[in-house]
Amino acid sequence: MLLDVHDLHVEFHTRDGVARAVNGVSYGVDEGETLAVLGESGSGKSVTAQAIMGILDVPPGRITGGEVIFKGRDLLPLKEEQRRKVRGAEMAMIFQDALSSLNPVLSVGDQLGEMFTVHRGMSKKDARAKAVELMDRVRIPAARERVRQYPHQFSGGMRQRIMIAMALALEPALIIADEPTTALDVTVQAQVMELLAELQREYRMGLILITHDLGVVADVADRIAVMYAGRIVESAPVHDIYKAPAHPYTRGLLDSIPRLDQKGRELYAIKGLPPNLMDIPPGCAFHPRCPMARDVCRTDEPPLYEVTESETDRGSACHFWRECLHG
Amino acid sequence: MAELSKNDEQVGTTPNVSGVEVVEARTEAEEVAALEVPVERGEPILQVRNLVKHFPLTQGILFKKSVGAVKAVDGISFDLYQGETLGIVGESGCGKSTVARLLMNLERATAGEIFYKGQDITRLSGKALKAVRRNIQMVFQDPYTSLNPRMTVGDIIGEPFEIHPEVAPKGDRRKKVQDLLDVVGLNPEYINRYPHQFSGGQRQRIGIARGLALNPEIIICDEPVSALDVSVQAQVINLMEGLQNEFNLSYLFIAHDLSIVRHISDRVGVMYLGKMAEIGTDAQIYDHPTHPYTQALLSAVPVPDPEARANRERIILTGDVPSPANPPSGCRFRTRCWKAQDKCAEEVPLLAVPERFKDSDTPAAHESACHFAEEKDVVHAA
Ligand SMILES: Nc1ncnc2c1ncn2[C@@H]1O[C@H](COP(=O)(O)OP(=O)(O)OP(=O)(O)O)[C@@H](O)[C@H]1O
Ligand SMILES: Nc1ncnc2c1ncn2[C@@H]1O[C@H](COP(=O)(O)OP(=O)(O)OP(=O)(O)O)[C@@H](O)[C@H]1O
Ligand code: SF4
Ligand code: SF4
Ligand SMILES: [Mg+2]
Ligand SMILES: [Mg+2]
Repeated sequence: MLLDVHDLHVEFHTRDGVARAVNGVSYGVDEGETLAVLGESGSGKSVTAQAIMGILDVPPGRITGGEVIFKGRDLLPLKEEQRRKVRGAEMAMIFQDALSSLNPVLSVGDQLGEMFTVHRGMSKKDARAKAVELMDRVRIPAARERVRQYPHQFSGGMRQRIMIAMALALEPALIIADEPTTALDVTVQAQVMELLAELQREYRMGLILITHDLGVVADVADRIAVMYAGRIVESAPVHDIYKAPAHPYTRGLLDSIPRLDQKGRELYAIKGLPPNLMDIPPGCAFHPRCPMARDVCRTDEPPLYEVTESETDRGSACHFWRECLHG
Repeated sequence: MAELSKNDEQVGTTPNVSGVEVVEARTEAEEVAALEVPVERGEPILQVRNLVKHFPLTQGILFKKSVGAVKAVDGISFDLYQGETLGIVGESGCGKSTVARLLMNLERATAGEIFYKGQDITRLSGKALKAVRRNIQMVFQDPYTSLNPRMTVGDIIGEPFEIHPEVAPKGDRRKKVQDLLDVVGLNPEYINRYPHQFSGGQRQRIGIARGLALNPEIIICDEPVSALDVSVQAQVINLMEGLQNEFNLSYLFIAHDLSIVRHISDRVGVMYLGKMAEIGTDAQIYDHPTHPYTQALLSAVPVPDPEARANRERIILTGDVPSPANPPSGCRFRTRCWKAQDKCAEEVPLLAVPERFKDSDTPAAHESACHFAEEKDVVHAA
């Protein structure tokens, strides 16, 4: 396993109380593999990623437990200086909003070049040549001329490709892409996703793709981890989960999206609202919204059960996963 | 319907009334009376003809010089039928919201007509305009910013009654607002709460309740569910569908999510750079698209089915959408179209049923603005 996150816990201490954003997340990704992390707003997808990258807002955030094992060693105990070396060189992150993650007063060439001057000790001239090469690689037309331009002079899709170039610069083993195409139009989204998938194959990187789009997941992921209230509620290879989900929340999500290729029935709507992280329901956090909930769900928190009926490596945090799978 | 759609007509020509039964009203009373007449289900209630909106681009601070214009909407024609949902899709900046604002009279059209029950609302004023405003309401995208944070939910939903007191006399208002809350699935006791006390989905319900307050006939929805999570999105979509049946509403539904638009729409129009590229029933557009842009757009949408991954043809467009201040000559899509030929740069393709499909009754026989329209299924796996 390239990355193995184990039982991660993160809290935020705010004026209004303690928000338990991540409550025992475990997931892993191998080299060359794409793991999609799916979940509604506030389910803890980004906070988990920030903890992995070592860019969590501390305080108010605090890691209260767990391990982030990357290439065999736990990153959490490392000093910030050591973390910084890992970041960029060995793992990199792509954010949703490229414009606010790029420095508006530096040319894109300078920003790309910095990766090489700072981390690799290259000369300015060599770094500039590298920057042009990378821009070419992510298919920015006329890279040699445009390397001098500033972020606002590029379209949204191009800025996202520049972000990808930046993340790839040092050929890291792991990329975490947090909603990399959510802000883009579908035709541009398709361009960017295709590019990302191609580069991932080429460099055999591990990719964690955070998204709430079930279409994107079906399109590119090998495995999925579904998050709810700061936990992984289901984890499975992508084909299995679309065929037969083993958790009622996953089932609800799949039934609540309309299809492009057929005129649908009435949409299934998961009742109620996502939980308040300051006051997560006891037992199974999903029970107030779950159509299958029974008494035990209100008191006993389900562990991540192994879905033993499956040939593949599958888990579900539902007491009644078997019924769900067949239901 | 082909002759309705001379979408390249010169700005500022005589009104295009093709297919419109124009109501000749001479007095304000006659105008208002004509607006009261109900429209039968399936008949046109709103007819847009050659609608144009150019935003002038100026330079200089002291002496503003005009240096061109953003052609946000550049000659669009379509009908909205009573009781239907017409979906409008297209990429960011293609002019969807501008169309919505023009229909709402929030923006003055540069040229063109908007006929509501046979009267051009761009020319109405006084009581007649007020009656139109009552009957065409809007629901916005962002439930977070479209509600005034300092007003209670009751005041927000009841605000339209201040302008149109005839709909609900003062004494009845509280009751009416509570009924509206109930209709959109919110607890009527929440009437004194403030917007920040609600979730995004609940806020969108408040926006819908407000849109319903005046018993409108048409609701223009500009990305009403785009800001919501999937599970909540389904709740709001189901609500909107239920309300449409209950109150006999016609919807113009703008969204960039093509799957949602298919789900809710009877017909769909595809916009590109200020023009309508293709329009037809949901099956015509999704299962039998003939315009290359529609085909590219649909093929780019990932479907939630990993089995379809390998078997669907994907058209990956190159390049970006050109600036609406300086659109390409001829067909606006030609800079990104893989089928473009010389003719495409020279002649603007009109929105019409393509000649080759005219006399057949295939689903491909719907309006498409392409010189070389041909069918291509990009949605279903081979
Ligand atoms: N800097 C912060 N300060 C306080 N609370 C925070 C902070 N960052 C995150 N949180 C809390 O952690 C929760 C999980 O946030 P996170 O950003 O991981 O959600 P997400 O799953 O990425 O959602 P989205 O899809 O909206 O990006 C949030 O609901 C919020 O309450
Ligand atoms: N008030 C304005 N002044 C100048 N240009 C404007 C104005 N309003 C809109 N535009 C321009 O008109 C074009 C169409 O904008 P519009 O908001 O209608 O697009 P849209 O299709 O709704 O896009 P989105 O999907 O991003 O909401 C854009 O290029 C926009 O920049
Ligand atoms: S444990 Fe109970 S409440 Fe939770 S998902 Fe399973 S059935 Fe539903
Ligand atoms: S008219 Fe020409 S450029 Fe335009 S869509 Fe058709 S083939 Fe493409
Ligand atoms: Mg996030
Ligand atoms: Mg818009």
